Amino acid sequence: MYFAGVDIGSTMTKVVIVDEDGELCSRIVGPTGAEHRRLANRVMEEALKQANLPFNQISYVVATGYGRVNVPFADRQITELSCHAKGVSSLFPNVRIAIDIGGQDAKGMKIINGTLVDFVMNDKCAAGTGRFLEVVSDALGIKVEDLGSISLRSTNKVKISSVCTIFAQQEVVSYLSEGTPLEDIVAGLHEAIAGRVVRMVKRLKIEPDVVLTGGVAKNIGVVKAVRENIGLEVLVPEDPLLSGALGAAILGKETVLKALAKGELIPKKERRLEEATFFT
Amino acid sequence: MAWFMGIDIGSATSKGVIAKDGDLVGHHVLPSGTNYKMAAGKLREELLSKASLSQEEIACTIATGRGANNVLFADQQVADIICCARGINNIFPSVRTVIDVQDQSSQVIRIGEEGRVVNFATSEKCAAGSGRFLQVIANVLRIDLKDIGPLSLKSENPVIFTTGCAVFGETEAVSRVAEGNSKEDILAGVHKALAEKICALAERLGLEEEYAITSGGGLDIGLIKAIEGKLGIQLLVPPYPQLVTALGAAIIAAEKCPPKEE
Repeated sequence: MYFAGVDIGSTMTKVVIVDEDGELCSRIVGPTGAEHRRLANRVMEEALKQANLPFNQISYVVATGYGRVNVPFADRQITELSCHAKGVSSLFPNVRIAIDIGGQDAKGMKIINGTLVDFVMNDKCAAGTGRFLEVVSDALGIKVEDLGSISLRSTNKVKISSVCTIFAQQEVVSYLSEGTPLEDIVAGLHEAIAGRVVRMVKRLKIEPDVVLTGGVAKNIGVVKAVRENIGLEVLVPEDPLLSGALGAAILGKETVLKALAKGELIPKKERRLEEATFFT
Repeated sequence: MAWFMGIDIGSATSKGVIAKDGDLVGHHVLPSGTNYKMAAGKLREELLSKASLSQEEIACTIATGRGANNVLFADQQVADIICCARGINNIFPSVRTVIDVQDQSSQVIRIGEEGRVVNFATSEKCAAGSGRFLQVIANVLRIDLKDIGPLSLKSENPVIFTTGCAVFGETEAVSRVAEGNSKEDILAGVHKALAEKICALAERLGLEEEYAITSGGGLDIGLIKAIEGKLGIQLLVPPYPQLVTALGAAIIAAEKCPPKEE
């Protein structure tokens, strides 16, 4: 049996397929476009190809993320908080605090014995999310993926006084015009985003193990700054983007196995395959 | 005869006035750019040349605004809230509540007799609560700042902005354009969203008649109407809303510094 998790984030769409032992058979990441539906299909198709499986072999599909309602072939939708908590605990069984910094929001989750017990979230303000880094890296004329390595060269990071992303962008430009080294500006930006996220997560009382996920966790500079702000080791999965999709796939697997064990029907919505033309 | 100068260096524009006996004899506005010191110097030059005065004839200069410490030729610095209250008192003595909508923040100031500040509330430096939100959206819609007020008033069905962030608001505006909403309706939606943030500030502070609006926000009739509608009040609009704080600075200069000895 195979189980798929589809995580449609604001910026990236992720698909994971696992087998009944929880082994990863496939993982695909693609940018989320304006048309979620077509994209969900395309990314799913790629994942199936990678796993060398036909769609009817997938016993259960769980969709999550903010675009989860736009996955017409999903058997069930589950919120991203539950999926993240599940995905992170499957990778790090001792996780207590999971922090996810995505393209358009940031979440802190308290997890005890693999169960989500509390959370904090910011989806109201671009500061403290991946969007902050996207906007300012644009002003600096560098790629988001280069920020991390650039910041590691810094010896004297600047203080970004603006919380607001729009004003930070202006502040960055004025630092540039003063001749401040790029790496010191970038390190200051990482400190700003890490400080803001950690202040929010502190409401959950931070204790180890701490795990950082989401696209921003791919930035080594932010990971370092989060570590310094928390004062604890911060664990990052090999592929930090996938924890939500992985959790979705595992939750799907659990749903099916539980139903089978009890001899009950598998709780399913109707797969609206007419939207998913490529499966016919 | 003595002339007094007030220089208000804001994050977007720098404003300067020369006053004599509380009357404006010359004023100038220019973009602040990234070098506030240069902006301040340029402003002084323009002011003096417009008023046909030399530096020696200026008895005292007060600097105010976010970039006040870049005005190296100023005799003293005074907080912009104090200057704004004094300035509006000079123009409209009956005003007790000022709504000051700047580029980077908004503030509501309660003023007493003779333009004393009684209390005030300032928004966080958040673009969604300041004039910057309008600039961001105007940029998306490719329209001139001065046109946004009149266009917004033509709206019949303002769009609703669901976010409290100007960055996310920009994305929302792009989506609304793609869905075919008119510029008028999008602008009116921004005015509504911004007015809500500003009015929350005003309601926290408490309101007292009469009311005025100052700074760049006072140039935007769409925003003025949105605030008036939300609070159920009438706003007095000074002839040069952007210059009120600089005027206040010049008035304070006249009080603080007795005319220089010949």
